[in-house]
Amino acid sequence: MRKKGWFAGMAALALVAGTLAGCSGKGNNGGEAGGSGGAKSPSASASANASGKAGEPVKLKMWGGVPPEAGPQAVVDAWNKDHPDVQVEYVRYVNDDEGNLKLDTAMMTGQDVDLFVNYSMSQTAKRKESGFTLDLSAFTDYDVDAKMGPDAAGWKIDGKYYGIPTTKSSFFVALNKDKLDAANLPVPKDWTWDELREYAKKLKAGDGYGFIQHTEPFVDPIDSVLSQDGYTKADGTSNLDDPLVRKWLETLNGMMKEDKTTPPLGEQLTSKMPVEQIFLSGEAPMLNIGAWLLRSSNNFTDYPRDFKIAFAPVPRLAGSADKYVTRGGIGDYISINAKSKHTDAAWSFLKWYADGGMAPLAAGGRLPASKDADQEAALKSLLGDKADTYDRDSLMYVMFDNKTPTYVRSVPQEVMDLRSQEYEKYFLGSQTMDQTISAMVSRHNEFLKTAK
Amino acid sequence: MNNHWMRRQRLLGYVFVGPSMIGVLLFFLIPAIYSFALMFTNYKFMNPKAGFVGFDNIARLLRDPLFYLSLKNTVIFLLAVPVSIALGFVVAVILNRRLYLKRLLRGLYFMPYITSGVAVAFVWMLLFHPKQGPINGFLRSVGIAHPPGWLSTTTSSMYAIDIIWVWFLLGYNMIIYLAALQEVSPELLEAAKIDGAKGWQTLRKIIWPLVSPTTFLLLVTGLIMTIKTFGIIQAITQGGPGNSTTILSLYVYQNAFRYYDMGYAATISWALFAIILVITLLQWLGQKKWVHY
Repeated sequence: MRKKGWFAGMAALALVAGTLAGCSGKGNNGGEAGGSGGAKSPSASASANASGKAGEPVKLKMWGGVPPEAGPQAVVDAWNKDHPDVQVEYVRYVNDDEGNLKLDTAMMTGQDVDLFVNYSMSQTAKRKESGFTLDLSAFTDYDVDAKMGPDAAGWKIDGKYYGIPTTKSSFFVALNKDKLDAANLPVPKDWTWDELREYAKKLKAGDGYGFIQHTEPFVDPIDSVLSQDGYTKADGTSNLDDPLVRKWLETLNGMMKEDKTTPPLGEQLTSKMPVEQIFLSGEAPMLNIGAWLLRSSNNFTDYPRDFKIAFAPVPRLAGSADKYVTRGGIGDYISINAKSKHTDAAWSFLKWYADGGMAPLAAGGRLPASKDADQEAALKSLLGDKADTYDRDSLMYVMFDNKTPTYVRSVPQEVMDLRSQEYEKYFLGSQTMDQTISAMVSRHNEFLKTAK
Repeated sequence: MNNHWMRRQRLLGYVFVGPSMIGVLLFFLIPAIYSFALMFTNYKFMNPKAGFVGFDNIARLLRDPLFYLSLKNTVIFLLAVPVSIALGFVVAVILNRRLYLKRLLRGLYFMPYITSGVAVAFVWMLLFHPKQGPINGFLRSVGIAHPPGWLSTTTSSMYAIDIIWVWFLLGYNMIIYLAALQEVSPELLEAAKIDGAKGWQTLRKIIWPLVSPTTFLLLVTGLIMTIKTFGIIQAITQGGPGNSTTILSLYVYQNAFRYYDMGYAATISWALFAIILVITLLQWLGQKKWVHY
């Protein structure tokens, strides 16, 4: 018994260290391969392309985060039908920590990844750093800036494109038009958080909420400010104590606690509140979300709805509109794996995809960003047979006509996390505003120090 | 002649242990040494630029407030182990009697241990819902106006996780205790009865000391298993709200697979290793006082 207990203890110890080390161990081997492979790749891929045997179709694998049935499969099928020589297979990865790790590991270990979709600038930057993303400036037959407009520039790394941003990503506040009309409130085209707070108060009915938010764009107001004022001050220290950050915390906290017009954050997080469903069932009249709402709002089987949806831009924190930027612009940044053996074929596919091949994705809220894509057709596919359940004017405004400049979220994950951990504590009432701001700043400073 | 035979036997021995030695070498020893080396680098997953940074990671660990916070959370998390052992013992003693439906009850108590952790996580999230959850519904109905927020506040979340973990470990502890109770010799119990011992005295003075090796085993394995668990917390709270449920193992996971910061993750995991080692050694020394073989 004595021996057994000891042995079990040691064996378990071994296992802990073993598993942890095992994972990182795998990473390194790949890392070395990645480093050298990345450097070699241009010549290697060129020769592979040239020697591609006639008659045998080139097989490409494209990794993306959208479920195949929400459009990508239809895109790929359409391409494969017209291009028997280049067959594309769509592989889905879930766009979370594990999913991105899976994609990164696949690329490091040289599994077949020819094209992949990046959903954030910080992910892309890591992949560029490791030499996985092909520098697209080598191809001269496609002008990303001209096709995608000025918003594309947010995706440049050191002045170069390592992928093509393909979708218009719009973020907005979806509104229950019927409720707004009943309360005699106009659909705003430019508004502040204070005004939204008033709206929420007026629209709140009984115990319900006046305004709910998807957790993904939750923190956007801060990023809107900091993407302009800078995340760091001139002396290189954290700028997370910007007065508007304070303003944001105060506004939301007031809405959660005094007005009770928006759910307390703790409740929202731990119950994984299904905000789309709450909005679409008519329980809450305003929802801060993005174009992916359309995926649910077009689905009347799971989300029956009897009201019209109108759209408003995301409100601003600052009093004046002249410096305001809104999140959005364009997204779904598709890169070609620099180690792919078929970069030329991947490039033709990517061009086709960006210029309209991606149309089937519109049904899920992903409109093509390229000026050469057929916007009217995409819009039709976006709204499906439900077009008359949307307020078309405000939809056109938030998706196409709103000329407010945009930013692309490019905050490192560590900073995203440290911010959310601290503001959660604030919203839950376990620390004061001043403690929150100073904790954010000191943790951010510490991060800046170690990241150097 | 004899010598030759002995040598062949010894060689044959190595052949037999060979496969498992290779396994240990490949999957434990080399990665362990490698992760030890990682401690002194700033290696980031995927990033080819890595270099030795000496003791920077260790210095960073020592001044990292999140490390101390997750250490504290880990200690609170570990409280679940003695609690579940005590409860497991009580349940086992009850179920060891002639009891109606005892087979069914044994099965029910063991269920949590064999159910999928993620499914369980979602069920508990519903149970713990601060407004609509049945637990708080019950508490309100018995007159508690302000029941705890469970997972939704930074002060109660770690204890809510503890409750889930006790529930999870209970069945396993109970089964092991049931087996141990079978080993308690009926003669001893009978002799005690004849000497006039009451039920509680028998339990305290005879059964508890006799199953103490089992208690020790459960304590050691339970603590080790708990200290390296992170899946259930990852599924329920991801370490939140705030960082109130970030335990060390989850902190390692986040650094390694969320921030790709392998060097720092290796440092924390070796700190974790040191803690497990110390706890196990302390128990090992302490057991002489209360474990009876």
